[in-house]
Amino acid sequence: MKPSLPDAIDYREQSPEVQERFSRLKERPVVLSVEGLGKTFPTPGGEVTALKGVDFEVFRREFMCVIGPSGCGKSTLIRILAGLETESGGQVLLDGNPVAGPGPDRGMVFQSYTLFPWLTVKQNVMFGPKMEGKSGSSVEGEARQWIDLVGLSQFENSYPHQLSGGMKQRVAIARALANRPRILLMDEPFGALDAQTRAQMQSYLLQIWRNLDITILFITHDLDEAVFLADRILVLKANPGEVDEIIEVPVPRPRRLDQSIEPEFIATKHRINQLIHPESEGKEDTLPFARMTVEGDDVE
Amino acid sequence: MRFSHRGTKDSREPWFGVRRDLSAKRSSILSLVSFALPLAIWAGVSYLPFLWHPDIRLQISADREDVATVYIAGDRVSKGFFPQITSAVRDQNASIEAQWKSDDPLGGSTESAVRRSNKKILRHLAPVLISNGVIDEGQSKDDAAIYRAWKDIAEGTLDLDSPELAGENITIVQQNWKSMRSVSETYDSDNSISRPLLSLIPQGKSANPDYLPSPDQVVAAGVKIFTQPPEGDRPSMLQRVGHSMRIVFGGFFLAALIGVPVGVLCGTYSFFSKLVEPFTDFFRYMPAPTFSTLLVAIFLANDAPKIALVFVGTFFQLVLVVSNTTRRLDLPLLEAAQTLGANQMQLLMRVVIPGILPNLYNDLRILLGWAWTWLVIAELIGVKSGLTEFIETQGRFRNFDMVYPVIILIGLIGFFTDQILALLRGVVFPYTDEGSAASANPVIKALLFLPRWFKDAAEQRLPHLPDKSTHPTRA
Repeated sequence: MKPSLPDAIDYREQSPEVQERFSRLKERPVVLSVEGLGKTFPTPGGEVTALKGVDFEVFRREFMCVIGPSGCGKSTLIRILAGLETESGGQVLLDGNPVAGPGPDRGMVFQSYTLFPWLTVKQNVMFGPKMEGKSGSSVEGEARQWIDLVGLSQFENSYPHQLSGGMKQRVAIARALANRPRILLMDEPFGALDAQTRAQMQSYLLQIWRNLDITILFITHDLDEAVFLADRILVLKANPGEVDEIIEVPVPRPRRLDQSIEPEFIATKHRINQLIHPESEGKEDTLPFARMTVEGDDVE
Repeated sequence: MRFSHRGTKDSREPWFGVRRDLSAKRSSILSLVSFALPLAIWAGVSYLPFLWHPDIRLQISADREDVATVYIAGDRVSKGFFPQITSAVRDQNASIEAQWKSDDPLGGSTESAVRRSNKKILRHLAPVLISNGVIDEGQSKDDAAIYRAWKDIAEGTLDLDSPELAGENITIVQQNWKSMRSVSETYDSDNSISRPLLSLIPQGKSANPDYLPSPDQVVAAGVKIFTQPPEGDRPSMLQRVGHSMRIVFGGFFLAALIGVPVGVLCGTYSFFSKLVEPFTDFFRYMPAPTFSTLLVAIFLANDAPKIALVFVGTFFQLVLVVSNTTRRLDLPLLEAAQTLGANQMQLLMRVVIPGILPNLYNDLRILLGWAWTWLVIAELIGVKSGLTEFIETQGRFRNFDMVYPVIILIGLIGFFTDQILALLRGVVFPYTDEGSAASANPVIKALLFLPRWFKDAAEQRLPHLPDKSTHPTRA
């Protein structure tokens, strides 16, 4: 990678509108607050520290992405936030109250497809409300609205195995939203999708986010995805997982796909790349040069 | 979704391709062949004498004066042994002829003994006469008719063709007739011949051993045992089938009734898994038949110990298989349910149980097959019963043609039960891949339209949705 364009502009420079957006964002109440979060796993070779002293806050209606090299503990982090794992130290506060165990106030969308195969799309979306003991036509009507929101009204009576990967994840989003969670946790939800579907899903997600009063914490390993979606990007360091930097994305909203070639977009990406892959800085090919010739294929 | 070759020319596709699916047409052809091939081998071995036929099936019996073992018509002797019998009979005839010329025509025997043995020799012709239709089956001891036949054969007015009489036997008939005619032209029980007669030389046709009857014999026997009314108060074949099925399904359902909940609990909660599985794992290695005497002692005679044996043979496997299936449920499904607010009870009732149902169904199908394998042993313990008792009795009389139809019937019942259950799986679980395949199947389509209830029941089988209006109306 040759350092070229990104040098021209600093990712910390923000246009007045973007500055204005961030100052308004930070005035909003804090939904999720993570304080000194640590996680260690016992292994036969001794304890392994997955997360250490992780501190950050997510503001209401904020879209925050978490990115980091593989093994930095991003999945562990989101699983602790969801209550699927317990922290070894520190605490997680949701609206100021400590979190213990999973609950419908934190919706989660997983990377793997987790729709219940024996339920139709609508029954899947109604699952959360039913767990709360709600039933009747109001639940069904609401489920229809959520399905409408993700654009799948034609499929409300289909079973998950009849849907494409992207559609399944849209239903999973609708299902998580149907509980009206305080925050939506998304663990690489588009990781298993092909590039085209993924780009489409990113746009969908931004539309849904804009239309709703919802806070999102989104884990990804894809730089473009993070910069395209996020207000702020939390970059984690590996071994142990610590907060490296929290980047305020200077790309104005509403986001469009063609912004990905604009200087602030590239500068942000470049900065994250520097943080995640410091060793690749300025290096070119890492593999030795080799040429294979094929007999009768002499091109001279 | 499997890759479909539709639209490609079948003839260009290779029959052998590593992990390549064959077309539907070729698959059905091969399925047919898989049944036709064993049948063809059976028929070939039965009807083509040069393929196997290690035995000779006697048409003329081979008893001799000085040998205790009696081979009568219909018995089988090996091809190696048969020449020994015939040459022994020839030797015997030669010494009788020598006696005729000697001064002691009776050969040291008494006259009455010779008369008795002569009567037997005359009757040796009876089976051949019966199969030629000269006399009826009931006339095998009708000495007058047999006597007449000897005369007709000797004088050339009666020609036998199925089976033919060998040349040397015709000579023997003529030689004997000379002696017989000198006493009486017709049978006279008071004045029977006292000069020793020559024995007919044993004759036979190559045949398979009696434990391998031919297909037509088996079919005939099958028709016979299913249509003939049973002797006395013995159960009819249908009653036997019903009895056997009661034992298999009784034992199986009992095992499933207790084993499925236990297995699900083991697969769901580590507590039950550690509490139950180690012992179960140990117990299943003790073969169920080893408990048969105990079961009879505990449950006495009749069906109870038999059902208990099927239960013992199935239950412990079932618990382990079900717990394993339960454990294989996708963990993310449980995690997702938790983030949607499901509590522990709801996880079990709304996620674990519906989540494993399709696999549980398959497990039970396999275990039902397992239960079938205990049938024979179960029916042998205590008072023998059902189809096995029939097999046992007929087998003891070496009526193997009666045994095969029953063995095949047991196989067919198991096979078709399994096929029907496999077909129904798609109907009961419309959300699986088989479900969508099933809905395209015309048979299933008809099934689905008639009892609409079935599909709705499959969807509503969970203990929720008390309010019909919350359930989507199916388009």
